[in-house]
Amino acid sequence: MILTEESVRKIKEKLQQYPQPKSVILPALTVAYRQVGYVDADIYREISHIINIPTVEVAEAATFYTMFAKKPRGKYLIQVCHNISCALLGADSLIGYIEEKLGIKIGETTEDNLFTLVTVECLGSCATAPMMQINQDYYEKLTKEKVDQILEDLRSKA
Amino acid sequence: MADDIKDKVKTDVPTVTFTMDGQEVTVAKGTTILEAARSIGIHIPTFCWHPKLKPVGSCRMCYVEIEKWPKLAVSCVTEATDGMIVHTESDKVKRGRRATLEFLLLNHPLDCPTCDQGGECELQNLTFEHGIDDSRFDFQKNRFTSDTDNTVFDDKRIGPEIILNRNRCILCYRCVRANKEAFGEYDLGVYERGNIAEINAAPGQQVNSPFSGNLPEICPVGALTSVDWRYKMRVWLAGKTPSICPYSSSGSNILIYTDDNKNLIRRVTSRCNDDIDDGWLSDITRYGYQIANSEERLQTPLIKKEGKQVEATWDEALEVICNRFKEITEKKGKVCIGGLISPSLDNASLYCSSKLFRTVFNNNNIDFRTDYRMLPNKPDSYFGMLCNRSFRITDIDDSDVIVVLGSDLIREHHNEYLRIRKAVNFNNARVFSLNPYSVKSADVAQAEIVYNIGTDEIILVAIGLAAIEMGLVEQGLAQGFKEKVKLGSLAEATEVCGVSSDDVKLVARALAGDGKVSVIVGELITRSHGREAVASALFNLSRLLGIDKKGQMAVLARYANSRGAEKLGLLPIPTGAQVEMLKAMWGKFPDAEPQTTDAMLALMHKEEISGGLVLGGNPIMLYPDRQFITEGLEKLDFLVACDLFESETTELADVVLPMSSWAEYEGSYVNLEGCNQVACQAIKHIGQSKPAFEIIRLIAEKIGTSLFESDEQMATEIEQLLSCEPDNATPDNFVDVLPLSEEVDPDFPIPLCICDDPHHTGALTQKAPSLTNFTGEAYIEMSPDLAARLEVSEGQPVRVESPVGKIVMPVKVSKHIDNDVVIIPRNFSQIRVTSLLMRKKRVDRVRITKVDE
Repeated sequence: MILTEESVRKIKEKLQQYPQPKSVILPALTVAYRQVGYVDADIYREISHIINIPTVEVAEAATFYTMFAKKPRGKYLIQVCHNISCALLGADSLIGYIEEKLGIKIGETTEDNLFTLVTVECLGSCATAPMMQINQDYYEKLTKEKVDQILEDLRSKA
Repeated sequence: MADDIKDKVKTDVPTVTFTMDGQEVTVAKGTTILEAARSIGIHIPTFCWHPKLKPVGSCRMCYVEIEKWPKLAVSCVTEATDGMIVHTESDKVKRGRRATLEFLLLNHPLDCPTCDQGGECELQNLTFEHGIDDSRFDFQKNRFTSDTDNTVFDDKRIGPEIILNRNRCILCYRCVRANKEAFGEYDLGVYERGNIAEINAAPGQQVNSPFSGNLPEICPVGALTSVDWRYKMRVWLAGKTPSICPYSSSGSNILIYTDDNKNLIRRVTSRCNDDIDDGWLSDITRYGYQIANSEERLQTPLIKKEGKQVEATWDEALEVICNRFKEITEKKGKVCIGGLISPSLDNASLYCSSKLFRTVFNNNNIDFRTDYRMLPNKPDSYFGMLCNRSFRITDIDDSDVIVVLGSDLIREHHNEYLRIRKAVNFNNARVFSLNPYSVKSADVAQAEIVYNIGTDEIILVAIGLAAIEMGLVEQGLAQGFKEKVKLGSLAEATEVCGVSSDDVKLVARALAGDGKVSVIVGELITRSHGREAVASALFNLSRLLGIDKKGQMAVLARYANSRGAEKLGLLPIPTGAQVEMLKAMWGKFPDAEPQTTDAMLALMHKEEISGGLVLGGNPIMLYPDRQFITEGLEKLDFLVACDLFESETTELADVVLPMSSWAEYEGSYVNLEGCNQVACQAIKHIGQSKPAFEIIRLIAEKIGTSLFESDEQMATEIEQLLSCEPDNATPDNFVDVLPLSEEVDPDFPIPLCICDDPHHTGALTQKAPSLTNFTGEAYIEMSPDLAARLEVSEGQPVRVESPVGKIVMPVKVSKHIDNDVVIIPRNFSQIRVTSLLMRKKRVDRVRITKVDE
C-alpha cells in the first residue's frame, strides 16, 4: 500500500458525499497526489479498490488532467509562465537561465530531487511579468539576480 | 410467448415526418437522422457510429445539411423532427466531410501498403471516395513509438490475440465503448488528451475477455488487428463462405475466410444476424475454426491389430466394422450395440445415427447427452417437459425481469449473456442471478443470490414462499403450492439455502409483477442430478406466479445441435409425437428397452452391450465419472470411434474413423430456439476424412441395409421431424418437489463445480492455438479467502482429492467468488478432471491441500 491510512480514510469520507462512486475519482486522485506528490498505475489500482471502480476509469481521468504529475517531482516545483506578457518581458531567456543554472531541461528534475522545472500558461499575474510560481508561492518581476537569490534561499531552507 | 403479451408490449409510438434528399420519410419519434437514412437506403459515412452501440458523435464524419440550421449537423446524434429538410450529399456536406477526413489524417501514418486492414479499411475507403490528395498540415506528425524497439512502427500486443498500432488510431472509441457497453469489460481505455490521446490496455492488464476478438473486427482502421489473421493473406484474395458456429448453441452466423489454394481457413467474422448473435461473436466462435486446420487431424482410418492402431483404407475399416457388428449381433442379439453421439454434429449425422440404431440394430441404445449424470430412464419427466419449451433469444431484449438459475453465462451461453447486458443497457431490465457460487456474468444483475450448493430447487420454493408471504398471490394458488413443498415457511427455506430472505423477496416481487419475464436454467442444473427436482419446482413457481403467461422459461440447449438432437429424436426416449412420426416414416419402431448414457455404460459393465459406436464428442473426457466410462468402454468386444483427433476415447477403439469438421461439408444445425440454419462447405475434406452422416450411411450399407433411397429422402425425413413444434406442455397442477440431499463426508468438505473455461467449450477447443493463448492449461479457481486459508497464491499447485481420484493443478484466485466452492474447467485433457467425479453424487466434494515444491 502506498496510500496511508489517513488518505484512505479521506477517500472513504468523500464516498459519502456523492451519489455515485465514479464522482469520487478526482477527489481521490487529489488526496493521493497531495500525499505522494505524483500518481501512477499503482495508485490508480489502490484507488480503484477503495472506491470500487475499474482501474481503467481512474487511469483515464488521471491522465486527462496534466496537473497530476505522473512521476516523482522535486521538492520545489518551479512553474515559469511563458505566456504572452511574460514572454515579451524575457521569460524565454529566464527559462534558459534556470535550465543552465540547475543543469536540467524543461520537465526534468535536479539530481538532488530539489527542483523540477516546468513551463505553464498564464497564471494571471501579467502586471508583474515575468513571473513564476514555486509550489504555492508567486515570485514576480523576475530578473536573473532575483532568480539566483530565490533559488539560493530555497536551497538553504531545504 | 402468448399472443396477448405481444400485443401488450406493442404500443402505438408517435412518428415524425421529414424530407431527406427530396424523399419524404416517416420514422418513430426519437430516431436519429442517420438511422432514418439507413432505413431508406441512403448511405451516410461514419467511423464512430456502430449499429449496436449508443452514438457519441465524436468522429464528425456523418455530417448532413439541415435547411435553416446555421451549421452542418452530426446526423448520428441528431434526432429527426417534423418538417426537417435534410441533404446528405450537398456540396456543403461534401466539403465538411472532406475537412473531417483532413483532420482524421492529421497524425495518421498512411502506411497502407504494410497495413493489414488494407482492402477493408473504412478510412482508406472514405479517403478514396472523397479524393483527398493533399493536406494543409505539413508539420511533423505525432508518433507513438514502440515500447520495445523504439521504432515508429508501433505494434503492441495488448492481449493474447490483439495487436494495437496507436499511430493508425483515429480515436473513434468504438473499441472502448463496445468493451464497456456491450461486453462489460474494463481492460481497455482512452488516456491523455488532445494530440497525444491514445487507446491502450488498462494499466498492467491484458485485453483478454471472451469477447476480445470483436474489437479488431469493429475497428474501422488498422489500429486493432488480430494476431490470428495478420499478414496471412490479403482480404480480397480470400474465399468467403457463410456458415454457422459449431460451438455455440445459439448458432452464431459467421463468415469463413479461406485460402483456397492451401485449403485452409484463415479467419471467421460475424455475419451479424440481429435475431441470433446481434453481430458479436465469442472468441470460441471466432478462433475455434483453427481445429479444422490442425496438423494433428486424423488423416486415415485406423484399425487395431495386435493392440496397435495401424493405418488402413476405408474399405478395410468398413469391412471390419461390418463383420464385427454382425458377429456380435449374431452372438448376443441386436440390443448389444450402443451409441454415444456428439450433439455438435449436423442434423443429417444425428438423424442417420438414430435411424441406424433404430432400424438396423433395432434398439434404443442411443444418447447424445454424454456429459450429464444420472439421466432418468423413464419417459415423461418434468425435465424433459422443460426442455421441450419454446424460447426466443430476441425475447430477452425486451424482458423486464430476467432470472438466471445455475449458470455462469459467460462460460456457456456467450450470446445470451450479451443479450442480457443489452436488455439492461437499453431496456432497464432487472436481472437476478441465482447460483451456488458468485459468477462473473452476475455483474449485470440487480441482485445476485448465492445459495448453498445442491439446494437449487429449494431456492425456487423459497421464491414462491416469499411471494405468498408478501401476499402477492391468491389464496387458492398459495394453498396448492404449499401442499407440494415439504418446507413450511420462507424462513425455513432460506435457512436451508443459506440466503437472506430480503434478497429472495426482491426476486419474488419482480417475478410476481406484470413485466415480461425470461427464466433461464443453466448447465449447473441440467448436467446435475437435481434437474428433475428443479424442473418440478420451476413448474410450480410458474403456476404460482404466472411466469408462463408473461414470458418464457427454458433450459438452454448447450451444444451447436443439442436442440436438433432433441427434435430429431436422438434420445433413448423420443416424445410420443416423434415416435408416431418415425413409425409412419420407417414403418417400424424398435420396442427394445430405451437406454440412456448411464444405463448403456452400466450394461457395458455387465457385458450385455458389447459393441459400441462413438460419433465425435470424446465422452471419456466429458462424462462425469471417468473410471466408470473407461471401464465400460474397455469391456466392449468392439468399439468404433469417429473423431477429428486422436483422443482418450479413440485410444480404446478397435477401429478409428477420421471425421470431417463442420467446415468441410454442408450441414444444417438447429439452434436453441429451434431455428434451423445451414453451414456451407468452406474447405475440402482434410485427408481421407468423411462427414459423420456419410460414415453412418456407409456402415449401414456395408451391413446390408441402405438407410435412404436417395439424398432427397433423407432431407425430407429430417425436414418432417424438425417441423414438430415444441409442445410447451406444463403439468396440469402443482407437482411434488422431491429435494435430493446427501450426506457430506467431513474428509471431503469443499464442493467442486466442473465448468467450461470462458475461452473453451467441450473437448475440441484445446486444439485451437489462439484459444490456448488465452487459457492453455487447467486451473482450480477459488475465492481469495480459501486460497489464503490454504496458504497458496495464484499459480501455485495444489493437490485436489476426491474419494475416487487425485490430481494436482495450479490455483487461480478469483475475487468475485466469495464462498467455499471451487471450479475446474473440463476442457484440458492433460488434467483428467472427471476422474474426481462420481456419477451418483449430486455434488462432488473434494479435499484440497498445498503441494510443497
